[in-house]
Amino acid sequence: MPSELVIKDLRVKVADSDLEVLKGVNLTVRQGEIHALMGPNGSGKSTLAYAIMGHPHYEVTEGDILLDGESILELEPNERARKGLFLAFQYPVAVPGVSMSNFLRTAVSNIRGYTDKPAVGDKPGVIGSNLMPMKEFRAELLQKMDEFHVDRSFARRYLNEGFSGGEKKRVEILQMAMLQPKIAIMDETDSGLDIDALRIVADGVNKLAGPNLGILLITHYQRILNYVKPHFVHVFYNGRVVMSGGPELAATLEEKGYQWVKQQFDEPALVTA
Amino acid sequence: MTTQLKVRSELALTAEGVEALSALRNEPTWFLDLRQRGWRFYEEIPWPTGNEEEWRRTKLTGLDLADFRLPDSPVSGLRVASTAELPAHLQEELATVESAGQLVTQDGAVRYRWLDPALEAKGVIFTDLDTAIREYPELVQRYFMTDNVPVDANKFTALHAAFVTGGTVLYVPRNVQIELPLHGVTTMRGGLADFSHTLLIADAGAEVTYVDDLVSADQEASFHSGVVEIVAHPAAVVRYLHYQDWNVNTWHFSTQQAQMKRDAQLTWILSSWGSRLSKINLEMQLQERGGHGELLGLYFPSGRQHIDHHTLQNHIADHCTSDLLFKGALRGRSRSVYSGSIKVHPHAQKTDAYQKNDNLVLDKRARADSIPGLEIEADDVRCTHGATVSKIEPEYLFYLMARGLSRYQAEQLIVTGFFEEVLNRVPVEGVRRKLEHVIARKIIGG
Ligand SMILES: Nc1ncnc2c1ncn2[C@@H]1O[C@H](COP(=O)(O)OP(=O)(O)OP(=O)(O)O)[C@@H](O)[C@H]1O
Ligand SMILES: [Mg+2]
Repeated sequence: MPSELVIKDLRVKVADSDLEVLKGVNLTVRQGEIHALMGPNGSGKSTLAYAIMGHPHYEVTEGDILLDGESILELEPNERARKGLFLAFQYPVAVPGVSMSNFLRTAVSNIRGYTDKPAVGDKPGVIGSNLMPMKEFRAELLQKMDEFHVDRSFARRYLNEGFSGGEKKRVEILQMAMLQPKIAIMDETDSGLDIDALRIVADGVNKLAGPNLGILLITHYQRILNYVKPHFVHVFYNGRVVMSGGPELAATLEEKGYQWVKQQFDEPALVTA
Repeated sequence: MTTQLKVRSELALTAEGVEALSALRNEPTWFLDLRQRGWRFYEEIPWPTGNEEEWRRTKLTGLDLADFRLPDSPVSGLRVASTAELPAHLQEELATVESAGQLVTQDGAVRYRWLDPALEAKGVIFTDLDTAIREYPELVQRYFMTDNVPVDANKFTALHAAFVTGGTVLYVPRNVQIELPLHGVTTMRGGLADFSHTLLIADAGAEVTYVDDLVSADQEASFHSGVVEIVAHPAAVVRYLHYQDWNVNTWHFSTQQAQMKRDAQLTWILSSWGSRLSKINLEMQLQERGGHGELLGLYFPSGRQHIDHHTLQNHIADHCTSDLLFKGALRGRSRSVYSGSIKVHPHAQKTDAYQKNDNLVLDKRARADSIPGLEIEADDVRCTHGATVSKIEPEYLFYLMARGLSRYQAEQLIVTGFFEEVLNRVPVEGVRRKLEHVIARKIIGG
């Protein structure tokens, strides 16, 4: 049975504040499906992505997030990753002094269960205990770096430090390829890319797409949808999914603009005498 | 093999103790004189009251010298012919570094010594202080606590001079270049006071790397008051790696000074992991033109540890550079103090000096203080300094955890990444690896 991510009446506020960002989101993404989520700036798309992954800055006040029927709200981000969720960040974080290959080997080892049994004399989960064998890991990493057009020298570089915008996005795809999630949320992976980079990223997404991967592709632009064909398109506005449809919805949106959405879904303006 | 050491009441930290110690060791009078001078200064110099700038943030509450005694000496019965006869923890310590010579000192006496015969033939001296006093008196008389670290530099150096035992004398003759590091391990058992001394002299054009490790033999409280003196003669290249990992009940006082002559190069790496309280004073003296000094520090107190470093980049001559980077992480309720100064004398034109201290505070109740400083009397110089105190960036943690790393693994990568800037510059691979391990241990509060 394909895995299924279900978001049910989800309300989310910014922790330590009254600001409600998500106001009842409903959405289901299954393995094998590509969903595009489109919406104007500030409508809450990234907040949704963060809430799914368990970012501590956001607090779920109502509703639920279920993976294969089980709520994941109580799980730490790493436990969610372990269950097969992946978030490609809109703004990938540069972590000083942490080499990409070192970090990724630990991540892959956790996700694939290598670290479940600690090595003799080690604390559980301590780096150095039962990681995926170096040779095997390197071979796979280099092969995937070539496949996803990431220069091999990046393995030894510090994670995202000094990477260009396009390089960061490609490295996000590379990580996704290594971690092989069931459901991936890709937050504006297409933003800030020139046309060549966009094509590389889109090719990457298409390579990974298939029956074992469900994708929630957050985007502003029709552009990427010329390369990646979604099965479903959702319009996000003011903290909610306000319209859902097939690929044609993206075209309509492109043509009419977000103004068209705003007119329909804005709370009626206060009439002042 | 277990050897019971008898406690001798006369080996207390008293004036009588000074004489008893010297007599036991059959020392020449000139050395007894030096000890007695040390004792006189020790009695003269008042205990820090806390009003002195240097002691404002570091209090000696709980320190009572009467709790510690000198080791019964000499402990010649403990000397072994091969490393295999040493306790496991010392064997492990030695195994971290591939070296050309090893000197293991326990409780102020040599347990094991080895030096590559090829180096011995070239005139390299690598021995303990007691042997050096007997066999190389001119060397000791010329360099031991004379114009480098004077006996009366502070209360702890005076006490050190009075009771110095063990320690390492390393002399590298002119133009002798030693490729592999030399490795010293100093250890002591609980209840003891250790006064080991490191004297490192590189003659003109010589090159040497010395790894100086201090580790406890058990978990009981002890006391260390050490002095490190380095002289890099013209065009010498010296790398000195000081690694302090006493148990967390031990008091650690250390005064270290390096004198750099013309075109000398020094890489000085100081790492502080253990001790209940550490007070460390470092001074790099750039005495002649063209010297280049690099001073790197790492520290990571946890629990209730308190670690205080004070550094001075003392630019006496012109056209010298000094580059200091101290990085510390803090766990639990620990505390760190870093204070540093760059001093540029009027004639030290074209000085290029850099000083940076970064702190990463991992827990709410830990606290790092950083007080950088400049004192510049020349006009054509470049001096930069800076200090930061920060917490783990939550966005780093979230990013790594979202990729499946546990919180502990993520913290370990972030903290190791924080130290990376310094680790990268550690010139001995084995030491670098050891530092990575100790960082991993400290993250879980060990
Ligand atoms: N941690 C936070 N603190 C305060 N306000 C926040 C926080 N996170 C999000 N918001 C607010 O919530 C709203 C939604 O932000 P979000 O980043 O989710 O939008 P978005 O749809 O991803 O926008 P964009 O298209 O620009 O990426 C914005 O008004 C933003 O300012
Ligand atoms: Mg966004």
